[in-house]
Amino acid sequence: MTIELRNIWFTYPGLKRWVLRNVSYVFNDNKTYVILGPNGVGKTTLMKLVALLYRPNIGSIITWGYDYWRLPKDKRLSIRRKIVYVHERPILLKGDVLYNIALGLIIRGVKRDEALSEALRILKDLNLNYLATRDTSTLSMGEAQLISIIRAIIIKPKFLLLDEPLAHIDIDKREAILNILHMLRRDYSVTLLISTHDVSVAKVLADEILVIKEGTISKMR
Amino acid sequence: MNEVIEITLRSIYVSGLATLLSLSISVPSAYYLSRNSRVARVIIPILEALIGVPTVFIGLVLYMLLSTRGPLGFLKLLYTPCAIIIGESILVFPLITAITYRVMHNTWITYGELAITLGANEKQTLMLIAKQALPGIIAASIMGFSRAIGELGIALLVGGNIRGYTRVLTTAIALEVSKGSFEVALTLGLILIVTVLSFSALSRIIERWYGL
Repeated sequence: MTIELRNIWFTYPGLKRWVLRNVSYVFNDNKTYVILGPNGVGKTTLMKLVALLYRPNIGSIITWGYDYWRLPKDKRLSIRRKIVYVHERPILLKGDVLYNIALGLIIRGVKRDEALSEALRILKDLNLNYLATRDTSTLSMGEAQLISIIRAIIIKPKFLLLDEPLAHIDIDKREAILNILHMLRRDYSVTLLISTHDVSVAKVLADEILVIKEGTISKMR
Repeated sequence: MNEVIEITLRSIYVSGLATLLSLSISVPSAYYLSRNSRVARVIIPILEALIGVPTVFIGLVLYMLLSTRGPLGFLKLLYTPCAIIIGESILVFPLITAITYRVMHNTWITYGELAITLGANEKQTLMLIAKQALPGIIAASIMGFSRAIGELGIALLVGGNIRGYTRVLTTAIALEVSKGSFEVALTLGLILIVTVLSFSALSRIIERWYGL
């Protein structure tokens, strides 16, 4: 078992309704989960709860056997570093692509030069080395999304969450991202949680398909 | 001519140090407020109201504190450049903090979650946010510096306008006006404006140079 949601209730400050109501679910190792549902049903909220970016109002999140939000702050970091969340709208720092990809490694204490070499290696492996020196402000939405996914992969997380990774991007980049997702499922021991409103994507990638409706979660497959 | 250069350099030195002193407290304060919205909701309106506080009032309060019979009189800071630096840093603190808070709050919304999800600890998150917010912090600093170098009340009351020691551009202008030397006063005023504009231009150059 990787992450378990136990009786989660969540709302945003000022909102007078629950976004998620009594949600419980167990995410197991090395499986691919796809969350289906239209915009505004709480997919991103659920993803950010699992990513430990949001704290539930009620309920617990059990991460590798520990009740995360009851852990002292200094113990949380090592758990947080096993989980990476990729935003629906890619967020890149000012600077070049290589630095952005290396960022997670640099944060983990890898020497800057080594991190940049590793970033270049992964770009070469994916035939994307032409992007290495590009300034992030010149990237298309699809390229930026690709880079933010690669930035997450290079860290080798145990749990990778991709929020609408195929939204807002053109067809050739969609293919590239799908290839990366297939590669992740095949070659990496990682649990994937992907949100989408595209049923065809869900069918191709998912071991389990989850549907959010009226704040509750149910298993479709 | 030499005295004008000396007064100009002293003005830059005093106001520059006051801005740096304020920045050293404003940036961590703004970061803390950007992470604690409930506290920010109370503090930021107060700081914004304090931006317009008359400089002569700060000067007066500081004068009373630093005068020989005041509670801080033993420090013997009255009529020293140090007193002006402290006064001006108090003056610009609300301005720099309020602007830096806005910048950091917006930067936090965009980059805070990214830093956390990439595994940054508290210090790394602060550094990442500060780096992304740097152009805004530089802009806030320039505004603070402009406010500090252009104020008169504090420099006059706690500096004393002592020739060769605490005389700065604004107190020199006030003195020349009181003597009826409007030409000299106008020249000093022009130097003041050119200095402020030069620092603003310099900050733009630095921003472009470093690709901020």
